[in-house]
Amino acid sequence: MSDNEDLELQALQRQLDDAFETTRPRSGFEDELWSRMQARRPLSRRVAEFFGALFGTLREVPSVPAAAVAVVLISVIGIGLIALSGVHLGGGAASTTAGSAPLKSEAGSSQYIASFGRLPTPTLSQPVPAPTNPTQASNNAADQSSQQVLYLGPATLVWAGPQPNVPITSAPVYRFREPTEADAGQFATALGASNSNHRAGTLGEFSGAGFVVGVVGSSKQPLAEPRFYITPNLSQSPPPGTTPTDTAAAFLSAHSLVPTWHYVVVTDQIADTTRVLYLRQFDASSNGFAYVINTYGVRYGIEVDVRRGQPLQAFGPLPLTLDVASYPVISTDQAISFALASKQSAAASIQPLPTVQLTTFELVYALVNAGDHSFYEPAYLLSGTFTNNGTTYVKRVLVPAVDPSQRSS
Amino acid sequence: MLADRPPFEDLYRDFLGRIYAYVRAQVSTAADAEDITAQVFMNAYQAYGRFEARNTTPAAWLFRIARNATLDHFRAHGRRERLRRTIEHQPQGVEDPAGMAEERIQYRALLVHVARLPERQRDAITLRHSGLSFEEVGTLMACSEDAAKMLYHRALKALRESVHAEEMQ
Repeated sequence: MSDNEDLELQALQRQLDDAFETTRPRSGFEDELWSRMQARRPLSRRVAEFFGALFGTLREVPSVPAAAVAVVLISVIGIGLIALSGVHLGGGAASTTAGSAPLKSEAGSSQYIASFGRLPTPTLSQPVPAPTNPTQASNNAADQSSQQVLYLGPATLVWAGPQPNVPITSAPVYRFREPTEADAGQFATALGASNSNHRAGTLGEFSGAGFVVGVVGSSKQPLAEPRFYITPNLSQSPPPGTTPTDTAAAFLSAHSLVPTWHYVVVTDQIADTTRVLYLRQFDASSNGFAYVINTYGVRYGIEVDVRRGQPLQAFGPLPLTLDVASYPVISTDQAISFALASKQSAAASIQPLPTVQLTTFELVYALVNAGDHSFYEPAYLLSGTFTNNGTTYVKRVLVPAVDPSQRSS
Repeated sequence: MLADRPPFEDLYRDFLGRIYAYVRAQVSTAADAEDITAQVFMNAYQAYGRFEARNTTPAAWLFRIARNATLDHFRAHGRRERLRRTIEHQPQGVEDPAGMAEERIQYRALLVHVARLPERQRDAITLRHSGLSFEEVGTLMACSEDAAKMLYHRALKALRESVHAEEMQ
């Protein structure tokens, strides 16, 4: 074989590698198929899993008296929250461009609510990464432990961090109602898209001038809020941006999708694609802003994939109108006690039981679905790392911040 | 020690993209690829209780199901029909920008050439570039590791010829 021929074949192999690595299903397909698979499970298995999860949840409830601080929801605080939180159309602190208006989930607009009643409890889910592949623990730059395997199995927990400084006694809880197909249409119209193409598993997919935008409803497995995706026509792309962050900002701005909520921008490199992440934050009242985390404890928000100076696709939470109510929260000392007493019921476990020193403590917001509506609830995320058989694991414990007396489970 | 068999959800998240790419490289439309990928994971989900990690790798197990599902698809549609659709297939047009991004079109044309290869050559290319070792490719194709390597290199040369032939036109 000549050198030229050899080089040609090597180049062809690289192209094939790229072709296979970049050929992926459309956004939403993964969640959609998973939902279909779950729906097709035999009834007996679903019942067994329901009770398994129920008892697992019961075991995880910290063994402390449920009686706690009486709920006094003060309207003044709530009204103050409205002013501070940007729940309406107010732009986030990091946002300097007018974003898309949130959808109205009900006839009225967002408002302060005295109480949402008892709240469901946020939890973390089983780790997604394969136990044998540490690099897949997370491909998200927002995850500071991106080369570690997430471990939610049982462990002996010890608090070894500094005294947390989260001096709050109450925090806002945010609620939204599930959008309808009409809401999806309204969102698309606001972006200048129409001509709905019905696509299974979505609330609608719409064509605009040089782009396609789609809306997907909430999913329970994995837990996710309603989302949009927008894909530009690459043949009509603008000149390449100077940096991926600039390109992403210009793309979102051109489509009025710059977040109206607070965010922090970070980037993540995946092969030759840069993922620009607008990490979402919620107003935690007097404690400033707190990141929202996904079901694996990782920060997230809007993602814009950029390659060679061009946006490939953006994906993120659908702008929705949020209602807000203030709830009493537990102290940081209580949170640590609850974390150390919690029993993790994940299937994958390491034997002998590892001892984990939890060293970080963070106020976060976590999504909880409750049927036709969902909540973003404050929670404390405690984490630490440990090593087993040469693999570094990250252990995360999520403690609901809302006082137990205000939670339904 | 972690359990031998990871939760099915882990497999699903790790392999969905690779299985889709493997299937997509062989069929002419994204819709067909989605249908077959869905069938693969539905079948795998049903059969996961019988999966023995000590006998095979999860990758080889899933790709075996994917290979069978793809062959079933071809049988159902007929080889002639498949060839017609493959030959007629063009990269997604500008009227479908979602499809364009989804396919990362600059590689789509190359995968069309892969789809035109004879079945065993196509298998060797698609399985190998889906991340399987030559040993796993050989096992799936019922041949030795060395035979899989030779088949793959023949396929690679055939692919290069196919690409060249089109460039000359």
